[in-house]
Amino acid sequence: MATAVTTRDQRAAELNVISRKQRSLWGDAWYRLIRNRAALVGLVVIAVAAVVAIFAPLIAPYDPLAQNGPKQLMEPIWTKLFGSKFTDPAYIFGSDELGRDILSRLMWSARVSLIIGFVPVSIVLAIGLTVGMLAGYVGGALDDFLMRVTDVVYAFPDLLFVIIIVATLRGTSLGEAYDGLLVIFVGIAVVNWVGVARLVRGQVLATKNREFVEAARAIGAGPGRIMRRHVFPNILAPVIVTVAFAIPGAMLTESVLSFLGIGIRPPTPTWGVMINEGFIVFSTTPWPVLLPSFCISIVLLAFTFVGDGLRDALDPRSKM
Amino acid sequence: MLRYVIRRLLLIIPTMFFVALITFTLAHMAPGSPFDLNANRPLSQATIDRINRYYGVDKPIPEQFVIYMGNLLKGDLGLSFTRQRPVVDIIGQGIGTTFQLGLGALAFALAFSIPLGIISALRQNTIIDYLSMLVATIGTTIPGFVLAIFLIYIFGVSLHLLPFVGWGSWQHMVMPMFVLGLGAGGFLTRITRASMLEAIRQDYVRTARSKGLHERAVIVGHALKNALIPVATIIGPATAGLITGSFIIESLFNVPGMGRLYVISILQRDYPVIMGTTLLYAFLIMMANLTVDIMYGVLDPRIKVR
Repeated sequence: MATAVTTRDQRAAELNVISRKQRSLWGDAWYRLIRNRAALVGLVVIAVAAVVAIFAPLIAPYDPLAQNGPKQLMEPIWTKLFGSKFTDPAYIFGSDELGRDILSRLMWSARVSLIIGFVPVSIVLAIGLTVGMLAGYVGGALDDFLMRVTDVVYAFPDLLFVIIIVATLRGTSLGEAYDGLLVIFVGIAVVNWVGVARLVRGQVLATKNREFVEAARAIGAGPGRIMRRHVFPNILAPVIVTVAFAIPGAMLTESVLSFLGIGIRPPTPTWGVMINEGFIVFSTTPWPVLLPSFCISIVLLAFTFVGDGLRDALDPRSKM
Repeated sequence: MLRYVIRRLLLIIPTMFFVALITFTLAHMAPGSPFDLNANRPLSQATIDRINRYYGVDKPIPEQFVIYMGNLLKGDLGLSFTRQRPVVDIIGQGIGTTFQLGLGALAFALAFSIPLGIISALRQNTIIDYLSMLVATIGTTIPGFVLAIFLIYIFGVSLHLLPFVGWGSWQHMVMPMFVLGLGAGGFLTRITRASMLEAIRQDYVRTARSKGLHERAVIVGHALKNALIPVATIIGPATAGLITGSFIIESLFNVPGMGRLYVISILQRDYPVIMGTTLLYAFLIMMANLTVDIMYGVLDPRIKVR
């Protein structure tokens, strides 16, 4: 029904509908993040990868380690369109040099990548936040120690430091635990915690003398409460951005190590291991190398898009 | 300024000491050595003892470290376990190639990143901007070895246009330099764009424009000159990054440089070579970081170094 005349109340009601709901600071950042198209695409890709990783045992068509002698080096089914004679409809993405299904191996690899992305970064975050906040707030000997340690760690080229740690510890029981996963956690954590600690320290130093902290102190809040309720929420944004970039960094480290042959132990599939193993047959058929390379690229790009989006969302002033 | 530089240079000494200590400790924590008993190469215990004595690894570890540091001060990095030659010679042989690769990659990175960053900033939020940001993001995000794999497949295996094993002719250099340069260039593009965006909004640019200067003079003479300060300071660490980051690219393309040497030594557990290259890398990085801080002070008088 069309009423030509609208009353002021009706118009006001319309305006109320259009005007957006009130949002918290974090809600606002989230809104800006998902409005960023690249970041949204990144989030979707990460979500898909996570689902594949979690449900890999259920959805993978084959056992990723099962070898099928006669079906070695099948090419992906779409290559049939270009005249390949070595395809098999049972192997959608083809098979590798031992006749293992590439699709299943790619899916299981996502599990390792996800674990590598989140576990060491959580360790790094826990250590970095604790040490950084203490060094920034309390200062003194701990602060001096932190600064000297960072000087040394910063002098090492990141990746080479991880390589030295992982390579030298490979023969020990630590290096053999969980197909080499544990020593990679250790390597990533040892190299990266200082960066987070130093960032947190700087942020705490900049925050702890701001007026609202002084106000809290003036009304009698103790150091613990000030750190938790006043300092911590205010230093969170740069920490979140750093973590968003640390996750793909850790995944990259794993794939480089596995590619060099000192990372995850075969036959456990990871994208890096697959590239390393497929390289022998690269000039015969490139698919065992190309497909995991695509997977790494897409997942790393997704994380970078989300990281960039987060940075813009959390700090609208810095647009880089 | 001079006092600051001297203090920073002196700080390199303890840092290098700890880098050496950490690497040395790690190397000796690893069980076994390249000379262990091994079924393919049966050695008697007496032979193993003799080899250990020859390389000085029969002494207690702290003593070995003291001897190593003493030799290091004399410029002696010891003997390679696998190549029967002094580490200094081996590194000296590879370092030229690595610098050649690194500098070539840097030249390529600068040649595309600075114009791309400037155009991006001047045409912010246009399709040109989005495309160059996409190139920059791909360059910084996709790992060099993955990019190299795609390139090898397209230009080496499929089209037979470029060789992808070895070093020497310019054709050999194209792909490694491109892959290595793309990563650094992506980063430089982002920096150039961000600092150009900041520069063109500054008051002095508005002043230049309002006094009737030609647009080109405003951009080149006023905005660009200031926008390039952060870029110039990044070039030091970017070069260090190119040199230390080339190890995977060198291994992949079989370039006989320091990086490939490093990877081979890691796989063969040739600790004297690992120690030597790590120390050299660490030194390069510290020098690069120092250069940045000095460059800032020189190029931008607003910043005072303590």
